[in-house]
Formats: sequence, C-alpha cells, structure tokens
Amino acid sequence: MSQEPIDAASHLVVRQASKRYGATTVLDRVDLAIRRGELVTLLGPSGCGKTTLLRLIAGLALPDAGTVAIAGRDVTRVPPHRRNVGVVFQNYALFPHLSVAGNVAFGLTVRRRPKADIARAVDKALALVHLDHLAARPISALSGGQQQRVALARALAVEPDVLLFDEALSALDRKLREEMQGEMRRILRDINATAIFVTHDQDEALTMSDRVAVMNGGRIEQLAEPRLIYQRPASLFTLNFVGLSTRISGTVVACDGGIVQVDTKVGRLAATGRFLAGSQVVVATRPEHLRPAAGATGNAVSGRVRAVVFQGSRSLVEVGAGGETLLAELPGQEAALLAPDAEIRLAWPVSETFAFPAPEMAA
Amino acid sequence: MTDTALPLVKAPAAPGRERWLAVALAAPALLILLALFALPLAKLLAASVAGPDGPTLAEYAKLLGTPYYLGVIWNSVRLALLTTGIALVIGYPAAFALARARGAVRSALLACLFLPLAASVIVKAFAWTILLRSDGLVNETLLALGLIDAPIRMIFTETALIVGSVNIFLPFMILPIYTVVAQLDPRLMEAAATLGAAPAEAFVRVVVPLTVPGVVAGVALVFSLAVSAYVVPTLLIGERYPTLSTTIAKAYLLARQPTFGAAAGVVLLVIAVATVALSTRLARLGGAR
Repeated sequence: MSQEPIDAASHLVVRQASKRYGATTVLDRVDLAIRRGELVTLLGPSGCGKTTLLRLIAGLALPDAGTVAIAGRDVTRVPPHRRNVGVVFQNYALFPHLSVAGNVAFGLTVRRRPKADIARAVDKALALVHLDHLAARPISALSGGQQQRVALARALAVEPDVLLFDEALSALDRKLREEMQGEMRRILRDINATAIFVTHDQDEALTMSDRVAVMNGGRIEQLAEPRLIYQRPASLFTLNFVGLSTRISGTVVACDGGIVQVDTKVGRLAATGRFLAGSQVVVATRPEHLRPAAGATGNAVSGRVRAVVFQGSRSLVEVGAGGETLLAELPGQEAALLAPDAEIRLAWPVSETFAFPAPEMAA
Repeated sequence: MTDTALPLVKAPAAPGRERWLAVALAAPALLILLALFALPLAKLLAASVAGPDGPTLAEYAKLLGTPYYLGVIWNSVRLALLTTGIALVIGYPAAFALARARGAVRSALLACLFLPLAASVIVKAFAWTILLRSDGLVNETLLALGLIDAPIRMIFTETALIVGSVNIFLPFMILPIYTVVAQLDPRLMEAAATLGAAPAEAFVRVVVPLTVPGVVAGVALVFSLAVSAYVVPTLLIGERYPTLSTTIAKAYLLARQPTFGAAAGVVLLVIAVATVALSTRLARLGGAR
C-alpha cells in the first residue's frame, strides 16, 4: 500500500472519499482522521461538500470511491442501521407520533433492549440534556431549543461510536444558539463523545471544536485547531471564510529567508511566505494587528478613515489607501477619536502578514 | 355605573360580537345544510316510525328481526368491508408510488386517478358489465389466448360486484393516503435508520403510524360510499345480492312501503356514521394525532 499507515488512535477514518452527482463532483478525494473523543467541525459555504461528507459517514449516501472506517471497522458498504452512528438533523427529524421519552427510547427499542434498561437509559439521556421533567410530553408541545435537546438525547441514548450534527443549531435564534453551543460542548466532553459538526457558521466552528476542517469545492482546504485556522490560514479561501482580513494584491520583488518583499498600490510590504520574484500574490493580515502608528517598524500604510463601525468594546475601522481597503480593529476609545475622512497611518508586524498566491484572473 | 366601569363592561362584549360575526358568516352554509340535510333527515326519522295508530318501531323490528333482512344488512356491510379492505391493500402502496413519482410519471398517475372521477358511476358500472359479460372483452381475450375453452360467468357474480366496486371507489382511498404520504419528511426514515432500525422496521414504526390519519380518512370514505352504493350492486349483480340501498329503492318505488324504506334508510345511515366515528376513535387510540 502506498498510503501512509492509519494513525492507531484514529477512531474515524475517511480515506480518498469521492462523490459525484451527475457532472458535479461534490467530494473530491477527501481524507479525514479523527481521534476518539475529538470534536471536529466541517466548516464551509453551502455546496462545499460538508453535508455530503457527513452523509457518507452516517451511511445515508455511498461514496463513488474511497472508504469510511469507524472504530477500526470498514463500514463503507454497511447500511446506516448497522453503523452505530448518532445523527442530529438540521430540522431534528423527531418522530411526531411519539412522546419525548418515546423518541429517546426509539434506538434502544429497535435494538430489543430489556424494558428496564431502556427506561434507565432514557432517564439518563434526558437528565443529561435537562429534559427529564418533559419525558411524557408530545413533541409538538416543545420549543425549538427543547426539540434540539430531545434530538441530542435520542442520538446519545444508543451510545453511538460517532455523533454527527448536520447544521444542528442553525434553526435556533442567536442567543439560544450560543447557549446550546456551550451546553453541547459540556455534554459531549462529559461523555467523551467523538463528534463531527457540519456548519457554515464560523463562530460555532471556532467555539465548539477541537479541530476545524475548512471545506471548499469538495476538498478539505485546512484541518487544524481553531486558533491556527484563524491565525495561520493555509489558503486565501480559509483567510476569507474565517474572520475578517485586510487583503492587498501585489508583485513579489524579493524573497529572503521566508520573507517576501511585495510591491503593492500602497507601497512595499513585507510578508511571510516563499515565492519567486515576479509572482502575483495577495498580502493579508487580521484586523487586530493593525495599530495607529507614527513611525513604525514592520509594514505601515497611510490612508483616510472611510467608516467606523461600533461593535461595543471595540470598533472596526475601514481605511482607504491607494484604492485598497484596510480593516483595523481598535479599542472603542481609540476609535472614538477618529473622524470620517481623517488621515491615519496604520502599522502591523511582518510576522502577522502572510502572502498567498493570487487567485486566477478568471474569477 | 361609573365611567371607569364602562370599559370593563365593554371588554367581554367583544368576543360575543365576534361570535355573532362567525355565526353570520356561517349562516348561508348553515341554512342550506339545515334545509337540505337536517330537515329531510328529521322527516326521514319521523317517517320511519310512522304507524296508523301513532309512532311505532314495527318496521325496525321487521328489519332487525327477520333473517332475510339481517342478510340484506349483512350484504351491504360485506360489500363495504370487502371493498374497503381490498381498496386499502391496493391503494396504500399506490399512494406511495404516486408520492415518489416525479414529473411526467406523476402527472400521468394523477390523471389515472382523477379522470375516472369525472365519469358518472353509472357509466363506469355499465363499462364493467360490457367488459365482464360472456361475449365481453375479458372472456374474448381469455378465449383467444386459449386459457379457457368456454366463457366464464363473471357478470352478476359477487366477484364482478367487488371488482367493480373496488375500481370505482379506489380513488377515494388513494387520495387521502397520498396527501399524508406526500407530506412525510424523508428525514424521519433517515433518522430511524441511523438509530438502528432496518428499513422494514422503520416503515412499521414510523411511516405506518404517521399515515394512519390518511388511512382512516380513506377507510371512512370508501366504507360509507360502498355501504350505501346503489348503482354498483344493481348493475353488477342485481337481484341475487339485495343490499340496504336496493331494498330501500324497492320499498319506495315498487312495494309502496315508505315507512319500511325510511327505517332501512336510518339503519344504513347509522351503520355509515358509526363506522366513521369508530375508525376515527380507533385511530386516536392508536396514538395518531
């Protein structure tokens, strides 16, 4: 086998999985390995293949090529009902003809567990999501947040090898969603669950997961801890999709020891990266690294304040310079002094400046 | 009364006014139902107990106490039960096929379902008599294929009656079930699968209970149509199989026994209403909402 050996600790391994629908390639040779007890998010725009990857893992869709292994067992051709995965669906897919307890008991009932065991497991799962007092309620009598908890309890009750969440929080309003994020993370930690979340919500991805897989065009662009995804994006797509950034295009004029000098419309900028002189690149940095500065080391650009967006404790300042736009995140009191159209000089360290290959001109 | 008390008096008056508005809006329909349905029904009830010496239950006693008429009642119920049962067995999978079909196939299937409803029941029953008679299409085909040596007697048999009845009332079974099936969330089946239910078990535990309301509606419709069918038994089996409806017609038109006819009408009505009420109750007990 030419492939590298599977990490012994990997609990879920997807290898070279591809899926096409007609002429569209939805998944393109995706590799993914997840450790036991790890929470991983598949993050990407709609159509990036994240839901299809989740359905392959659940067995709800079959890959055209590639394999899926759970807990050391190849399940690529195993139907969903024999995979022991738990899925929390976007619209929860609760059984409307069953009570809360009936929904949670479903997986155990079809496994023909003894009645007493089922009752105990249902109580335990409902207690975990703080719904023990609603066991006898019909599903229709529950709020959205409560339904979401029932869906989680139903998936947990069968003690699945892997828990899968398909946009499970997106139907909730913002405040409830944030509460549920924290609570779900706590619950999943407590039971040491291996879980995959599918979401297009970057905040959800960054707060809930141990690692984030940023997906684009049927491929995983980057799989890393949330902090790295944000601070060290591996591609222009990741930089764009996760968080805000300043992006300035230019031409590399020199490269030395992993630092490139780039000529741009706002002057010469230095960035980390290795490119041949003459390469077209995009120089980028995150807004929190930009500081108002008189004479500064590192990169510096002068421009005019275009807008100040108040965001509570901090403000986002948009600065126009030579046809480019710079985004700076400044503390509230600093930004309050800035009038629109005022002259400002912004500086930021070279170590937080990255160069990416410029996208093809076709776009 | 003080001024401050006035709003308190007014406030509860509003719902009353709304109720009157509701009554006013419903009035035309209520009046029509009252004139065309409730009044004749009351007259029917009165007529069924009319005797020369004041009210009497004699006609009911005759209906429910004579083996012949008990047989007639059973004929009607048997026709309805067989029609409903067979229509359910055929119609349930057909409703799923209809719900799964897409595009032109779906349009064609829907047309198959709706077009026969545009034809009169008399036309359809006659069509069956033409198909099933000894020199009819079915016998000719079987003879031509060499499957039979002599024409089989089909028309004026119970088989003809049931075949025709199922054919004519089948759409009323399929449509309500189809409506429910079309609204089923396919993710419920996926959820059941991920929870460990094999397809057959997921169907029994999830799909069947959720389609109960459609089944109940279909059963109630087909049963009440079949139990009171007049044209279908008259044309497809005739005298050999007297039903309540043919008996009622004979009592009024031939025998001039309006009291007996009215009593038979009431019995028929009670059977139909009781079936609808019972099936609804059973569905509710079964946990369907």
